[in-house]
Amino acid sequence: MQLSTAEETIQRLIFSLSELEQLGQTLISGHSNFSVSSKTYLRIALGTLQSTRGAILRYHPVDNHLSVAAAAPERRDGAEAPFIPVNPEDVAELLQHPSILISSPPTGLEGFFTRHEEVCSAIDARLWVPLKIHDELLGILSLGRFLGRSQLEEWEHELLTILAHQISIAIAYSRMMEGVQGEKFRLFMLAESAPLICQLLQPEDAAQQVVHQAVSLLDANAGGLLLRDAQHAEIEWKYTFPETLAAEFPSTIPLDVDGDADGACSTEKVLADVAKEGKTTQTDTSEDARLAAENIMAVPILGRDGDVLGVLVVGDKEERGGRITAFTDEDAILLDSFAKQAGVAIENAQLHQEALEARELQAEMDEARKIQENLIPETLPDIPGYEVAGLYEPRGAVGGDYFDCLELSTNRWGLTIADVSGKGMQAALLMATLRAGLLSEVAKTADGVNPDEDTAKQLCDMALTLNSLLYASGTEEKFATFFYTYLDPDTDTLTTLNAGHNPPLIVRKDASTQWIGEDIGGLPLGMFPNDMVPLIADYAAEQVQLNSGDIVIYYTDGVTETVNIADEDYEKRLEPDALEASKLPDPQASNIIKHIHDAVITFQGEADQFDDLTLLVLRKK
Amino acid sequence: MRDSYFLAYATEEKEASVLLNKFDIQIRDAQDYAVIETEGYLNDALGEALSAKAHTLIQDGQTRLVINLEKTALINSIGISILIEIIETLDERNGTLNFCGLSATQERTFRMMAIAKYAGIFPDEQSAIDNL
Repeated sequence: MQLSTAEETIQRLIFSLSELEQLGQTLISGHSNFSVSSKTYLRIALGTLQSTRGAILRYHPVDNHLSVAAAAPERRDGAEAPFIPVNPEDVAELLQHPSILISSPPTGLEGFFTRHEEVCSAIDARLWVPLKIHDELLGILSLGRFLGRSQLEEWEHELLTILAHQISIAIAYSRMMEGVQGEKFRLFMLAESAPLICQLLQPEDAAQQVVHQAVSLLDANAGGLLLRDAQHAEIEWKYTFPETLAAEFPSTIPLDVDGDADGACSTEKVLADVAKEGKTTQTDTSEDARLAAENIMAVPILGRDGDVLGVLVVGDKEERGGRITAFTDEDAILLDSFAKQAGVAIENAQLHQEALEARELQAEMDEARKIQENLIPETLPDIPGYEVAGLYEPRGAVGGDYFDCLELSTNRWGLTIADVSGKGMQAALLMATLRAGLLSEVAKTADGVNPDEDTAKQLCDMALTLNSLLYASGTEEKFATFFYTYLDPDTDTLTTLNAGHNPPLIVRKDASTQWIGEDIGGLPLGMFPNDMVPLIADYAAEQVQLNSGDIVIYYTDGVTETVNIADEDYEKRLEPDALEASKLPDPQASNIIKHIHDAVITFQGEADQFDDLTLLVLRKK
Repeated sequence: MRDSYFLAYATEEKEASVLLNKFDIQIRDAQDYAVIETEGYLNDALGEALSAKAHTLIQDGQTRLVINLEKTALINSIGISILIEIIETLDERNGTLNFCGLSATQERTFRMMAIAKYAGIFPDEQSAIDNL
């Protein structure tokens, strides 16, 4: 062994002190990341000890292996990184020795170095110095050959111990700072998330942000949000990250899903259980090929009243290096805290959406009401020898009621009353279509009908034309009941056609009554195509003779289906009330309407009504 | 600076994550600066790929970098730590790094994590280049 001269030794000691100072400065420079600073530490160690090759290996306790943090010389050949598995016995043995000569390792490590001979050779390992704080292994400082000598002198060993200690502190500091940075990031994200997600008013935007924030907050690789549909006892996917993930699952999961019986995988059952039981759950999903995630953690999202609104799920927490690790109890607390914010955000967005829809619905209803009111005549014509009066009273949602008295020609009149199924804008528009069609049909002839042809047949043809028009305009659910009366005052005859409407009531002067069109009512308009009408119930017309004092009362089902608080309907009361009205001291058409209207309102009492009330009365003077 | 074989190891380990979350990196290497544009979730997978691209540029002498995160809506803590590494590496070489295309939340995150202390933040790529 060639010993250094005293002068050389002093010079190297001065250099070493200088390098140690630099090492200390690197440590306190704020460069907390060991991945960056490890190269500086290695360079200082190799320079100080005059070694040409070496490496710093970092120990990963989660999955028990050593990996290269820095190496000299650097390898840029793209070769696979040295990866050294270390079992707990190896770790315990490594901690026993301040330094290990690879060529003659301690007995307990002979097997270890034999197993990893190739890796040690790749990094030219000759001397290993375990890097540790107390009894915790942090890594290895691996040194290669020493310049001009085969081994270190005693003072160099002491220097090496100081260097190893400094590097250990750097690793511990780096690890601590990584943890602090991670926690700082999470706390910030958690604090930042609340205002961010709570200001989103579109449910879709809120769902996306909730999932994004949760994935980011938990360092997860996937996530999703399911919201509960109480009506159907199921949860529905609202957003997934990555978005392609949603395609792997059915869009809804029944709350009572049974993994075995329904063939659904356990992941769906876990999510359904979280929604049912409201408990945070972690589970291994490595068997679920669709999820491409090894594990998931799901938390319930609660509303203000404590009901479960849905489930927030994250999958595959990653750590530095891309390895997937299990979610911790702290993660569960974090996600649970975030889910509380998410619940407020989702509920806000839902309430906003409902308010918006209600406003839109109200605006549509207002518009429909205007259309409806424009269809109802403000005044009715004076018919010589007759009185006619009408009433339309909106109640609740906008229906599709309509009545009119059309002056067809000199002393010929068309009285009509109709009721479109459904409510709102669609009903109003369909009724407008029916009215336009009716006006078009009666305008085809000078008298509203061709006097040379059979009036009843002409009305049946008109019904078919209107049926065809409405069938083409509406959907299967949209149709109109329609009653039309052709009045010839010269003969006091009514020719009537009923398309599914409530039969009008005639109250004769002698107090007898007659329901018109009760037995020959055809199908409502627009329900079936024309070619099917004869197969089901063809249209037919009938003639009725009126005499002085006779009253015809037309009405919509809003009258007969008015209910009282005992849930009885008004239908059976119409006839006696009409008879009562006919005996009024002044039985004008308008007085009869008022009498029946008042009777309906009295009958209804405090009960809510949802259909418009329409009456049309014709009285032969 | 990261050793190339260490990167190879890391990439192999996170294959499952890469399958889940697609990402992309575009480099626009001008003579006196380079722009790295990321697309996708800035987690370990994209972060390591970004780190590799940045270190290759730095090794080749390019120390004026812009990282455009306009197409990266989501960053986790690992992504943040990798960005800090790049900043530290450039700092060792007296280089300059500017970010652009950050969302308001990302910008607040960067300021809170002290990234903004060592790197510039600009609204668009051109102003980030102009201020290198």
